[in-house]
Amino acid sequence: MSEPVSGCALEMRHVSKRFPGTIAVDDVSFEVRAGEVHALVGENGAGKSTLMKMLAGSFDDYTGEIAIGGQLALLHSPTLAKRHGIGMIYQELSLARPISITENLLAGRLPRRGPFLDKARARALAKELLASVGLDLDPSLPIEDISQHGAQLVEIAKVLGNKPTILVMDEPTSALSHEEVERLFCIIGDLKGRGIAIVYISHHLPEIFRIADRVTVMRDGKKIATTPVAEVSREEIVQMMVGRSVKEFYRREERSIGEVRFRVGGLSRLGFFHGVRFEARRGEILGICGLSGAGRTELAKVLTGLDRADEGSIELDGKPVRGSTMADFLEQGISYLTEDRKTEGLAVRLPVDDNVLSAIVDRLSLAGIFSKARGKPRVDRLIGELSIYPPDPSRTVGNLSGGNQQKVLLAKWLASEPKVLILDEPTRGVDIGAKMTIHASIEKLAREGCTVLLISSDLPELVGLCDRVMIMRKGHFIREMQYSECSEESLLLAANGDTGRGAACVDPEGRPHG
Amino acid sequence: MRRSGRNSLLALGDKYRIYILVVVVFAFMSLLAPKFFNVFNFKTILNAIAMNATVAIGFTVVMICGQLDLSIGTVITFAGVLTLGLQPILGFAGSIAVAVAGGALVGLFNGLLVSKAKINSFIVTLGTMTILQGSIYQFSGGNSISVTTDQAFAISDFLGKNLLPLVTPRILITLVLVVIVEFLLRRTRAGRNFYIVGGSRTTAWLAGIATDRYLVAAFMLSGVMAAIGGVVSVLVSTAATLKLGENSLMYVISATIIGGTAMSGGKGGVLQSIVAILSLEMLYTGIILFGLGNEVKIFFAGLILAYVVLYEAYAVYRHDKTLGQRPELMNELAERKPAAQGR
Amino acid sequence: MGEPSRGGSDARALRTGSFSSIFNTVGVYAIAILFLALGAVLQLTGVIGNFLSPMNMLNIVDAVALVGIVAVGMAFVTYSGNFADMSVPTTMGFTGYICIELLRYGFGVALVGALAVGLLVGVLNGFVVGKFKANPIIWTLAVNYVTMGVIRLVWVNKQIYPDMVGSQQHAVSLFDGIYRLRFFNLIGLPLVILLVLVVLGQFVLTRTSFGVKLKLTGSSPRAARLSGIAVERVVMLSFVLASFTATIAGLAVTSLSRVGAWYNGAGYDFKAVTAIVIGGMTLAGGRGNIFGVLGGSLIIGILNNIMTLFGIGTFSQDMIRGAIFIIVVGTNALSLRRLGRDDA
Repeated sequence: MSEPVSGCALEMRHVSKRFPGTIAVDDVSFEVRAGEVHALVGENGAGKSTLMKMLAGSFDDYTGEIAIGGQLALLHSPTLAKRHGIGMIYQELSLARPISITENLLAGRLPRRGPFLDKARARALAKELLASVGLDLDPSLPIEDISQHGAQLVEIAKVLGNKPTILVMDEPTSALSHEEVERLFCIIGDLKGRGIAIVYISHHLPEIFRIADRVTVMRDGKKIATTPVAEVSREEIVQMMVGRSVKEFYRREERSIGEVRFRVGGLSRLGFFHGVRFEARRGEILGICGLSGAGRTELAKVLTGLDRADEGSIELDGKPVRGSTMADFLEQGISYLTEDRKTEGLAVRLPVDDNVLSAIVDRLSLAGIFSKARGKPRVDRLIGELSIYPPDPSRTVGNLSGGNQQKVLLAKWLASEPKVLILDEPTRGVDIGAKMTIHASIEKLAREGCTVLLISSDLPELVGLCDRVMIMRKGHFIREMQYSECSEESLLLAANGDTGRGAACVDPEGRPHG
Repeated sequence: MRRSGRNSLLALGDKYRIYILVVVVFAFMSLLAPKFFNVFNFKTILNAIAMNATVAIGFTVVMICGQLDLSIGTVITFAGVLTLGLQPILGFAGSIAVAVAGGALVGLFNGLLVSKAKINSFIVTLGTMTILQGSIYQFSGGNSISVTTDQAFAISDFLGKNLLPLVTPRILITLVLVVIVEFLLRRTRAGRNFYIVGGSRTTAWLAGIATDRYLVAAFMLSGVMAAIGGVVSVLVSTAATLKLGENSLMYVISATIIGGTAMSGGKGGVLQSIVAILSLEMLYTGIILFGLGNEVKIFFAGLILAYVVLYEAYAVYRHDKTLGQRPELMNELAERKPAAQGR
Repeated sequence: MGEPSRGGSDARALRTGSFSSIFNTVGVYAIAILFLALGAVLQLTGVIGNFLSPMNMLNIVDAVALVGIVAVGMAFVTYSGNFADMSVPTTMGFTGYICIELLRYGFGVALVGALAVGLLVGVLNGFVVGKFKANPIIWTLAVNYVTMGVIRLVWVNKQIYPDMVGSQQHAVSLFDGIYRLRFFNLIGLPLVILLVLVVLGQFVLTRTSFGVKLKLTGSSPRAARLSGIAVERVVMLSFVLASFTATIAGLAVTSLSRVGAWYNGAGYDFKAVTAIVIGGMTLAGGRGNIFGVLGGSLIIGILNNIMTLFGIGTFSQDMIRGAIFIIVVGTNALSLRRLGRDDA
């Protein structure tokens, strides 16, 4: 075991976390110094979120040691983690919306004078906490009346109220505008000055280069390297994140790509994405790549009729797509495999066959009479094709493994025999075997003439499967890349854009400070 | 979430709109309804709402926690029936104690099922409502109960005596309870915790608040208040009919929501609910004074509840549609629109 | 992401997988038969009298029929995940009034008029709950009150009698017959209607596209919507069905009592929900079937009868019914929670 390095606020030594079937974190060691911003980067599935959960005290069965301020700490529960001075700031805020800022900040420990509340002191304390994050709001406002950005700052203030020595921030900027990001960075600067160690988890490389002192790269559960930000380039980080390209993993077969079939022009939805324009062909797999918050899922929802666009056109086979509901779009041949299989894609309490047939109920019905028997051959065929295990159509979906559940979800949309299939993160949380089966199935689908739109944050997947990739960033399509241009590095770089941000610190009123 | 500042006026509205409403209703009725503006009428109104106002105290706290208590109507009747029915055996002191304890017990039962068994509160309270319904009829044999002793009349007279022009002991009891509970809600840590539990059980739990205990406490309070409402009511009228609490549920739900307490929990207040009950009662009285019958009143009462429920559901529906918008894109689109139109 | 643990939960899950529907229904009828046996035993041991007499059996059946008719329709609402339709009591009374009022224009007109009104209530409920997702219990309660208000407004607490409203004697006797018509001197019309509704209902639930969509909606409304199912229309139809059967039951009850009264439907909302829940349909939706609902109605009917013969007053019976309801819902909630699911 290595000796504790002095000045270290947080040290993780040879920590590992296993789940049945996978090792999410594999013998990782790194340390964060007081007053340092230490970035943690890695692709989806690299182990960042598991590591973060470890710090949050979500697991009581990790191996290895965690030391805080030089002392060994057993982070076996959230309360313990908090007590050891770890503060977590998640993407989903833990604030109660109808409750005032003051009461959210001081929940459970509102100051008292005798048996009654000391409102004046509560307000003063709240204002203090707000000031520490540069907010000058009326603390009696309920959370639902302030902006998303303000709420996030309140969340930070709340966590700061527990006087943490270590702050872990998970993708803090994915929903923020330029100015808001700047303000956040100012606050982080302040916190650094106060000696708080910050673990900054993010995909956004430009930000990391601006705000972080050191960066640790993870891949496949292992730590690849830790280096000062000043000593490394963007390309090098990306290379470490991505590793040896697994292009051999994908044998690309020749596919004939037909004429343009799906045409989208000037598509906008107020506040979500703007001016999206592209064409997709028969038999083509078109990837849509972007960081979280880029608007990909929102775009997908409009392309499938779930939401309505404010501007623009969608054309299929030369004719504009009619109707305004998802059922209309489905009927015309546009299907959508949703991002979250457990809550949006599958009815987990129902058996496999019910789920597989759930999108084609009307098609299998004659005069309102539904014939499950008519659908049975389809179900059996798909179970076989996708190697769903166990191959039992009456098995409740909730009892299948993640990979098999995803296969059922894919089967459902394959059963709809779409002309255009939009896949949203089709292999998220899925084991290697299932992933390969799903990929093979997607390729087969394209070979048979379907147009596939693949939304994914899994770079090897995009590189291996797609004929072209559209890069989406903050609500716009910024670039289109051909197969030959695509590599994991180039995709990641493109997704991070090239926008430089050099504005000075400004406070909410626009006055420079710090 | 909306930007700070822009909607603070509307936010003000949510909490204070009932006070504006009550003034408007009062003015309207005073000016236009015959025989409205006199002391006798006001006293009638205050007495009419005394029972429901008491019940609303507890019901509001349950709603603040994000739950519903559908059993309040039957608890009222149950408590009333017990008070008069047991009086010959236990005397008033005894029967009142039993009635209030009964209300507390019902609340305990409701609270435990909701917090520990995690069954939806309206399912649970629907069940207890039915059980109580049967108990009431069983206990009373299907008849109203009245007590005609001198002591009973003395109590009734006392409760109805004019201490001040508009204030009788009966109204005073309600007033005192309102003040106490509202004060506790606003000015003690425990009181604020109810709001946090209702606002987000997760937030409350993360902050170390014992959410289960608060839920049970809320339901018990509701049971006790409903019981007190029934008890005082029968003491005044010296008779307990089986229809005592029949319309209370409807009144109290409507009033609580109109007063600004949302079914989703986390906001509202007891005083607001009481003021809402007052507004509604003034409205109903006005309807009667206009010459329209009791039936119109009941019809209106149901209509108001339906409207209130629809309004709240619609508001959530509208909100969900705009979830997740990026602010800067909104501006972008707005700026570009005129240019695009010129194309 | 970790994978769900295998082993024990899988075995349990298999049991509650697809077998559960059949299992449950058989189980419900088994309990019904058990109760019948109980009644017989109690009679044979002299504790209660005359349980097995044909007259008594007929009584049971008549009582079951009314509750059953309401329950079959409401079951669609429960199956869709919307718990129950609390506007049933006043819908029953209201349609009874309408029918009697229209008898003067002939039986056919009266029937159509009553059905039309009932369907309207169903459409209203279905729209508000389906599109705006209002809390179904609170909304239907509100509708219950409003309808009560309408009844009171129009008929002002008066009760109306079929034979006092105009002259069409033929229509009146037809109306009387709704409850009193007997086939082979034995089987009442309500029972026949119930059986027909049960068969139709089961068919609709299990074999139509609507039924499949309803199951998906009840199991996971979000996934259903994202599968292209028009959830709002599905919910609307389920409420229409509930009001439809409520109307039929309302006509039967009004025919039985021969008077149009606002209290004709009192208590049927809760009786129906209890029958539904006992019959194996969970309040969370997507599980159970109509045969089970029939079984649940049977159990309640038999239980009631035994209690009456035992000398337990009707009000105590209410209490016991309420207690049973809570127990069934509670055990459902707890057992499914142990399996790691969010039901009840």
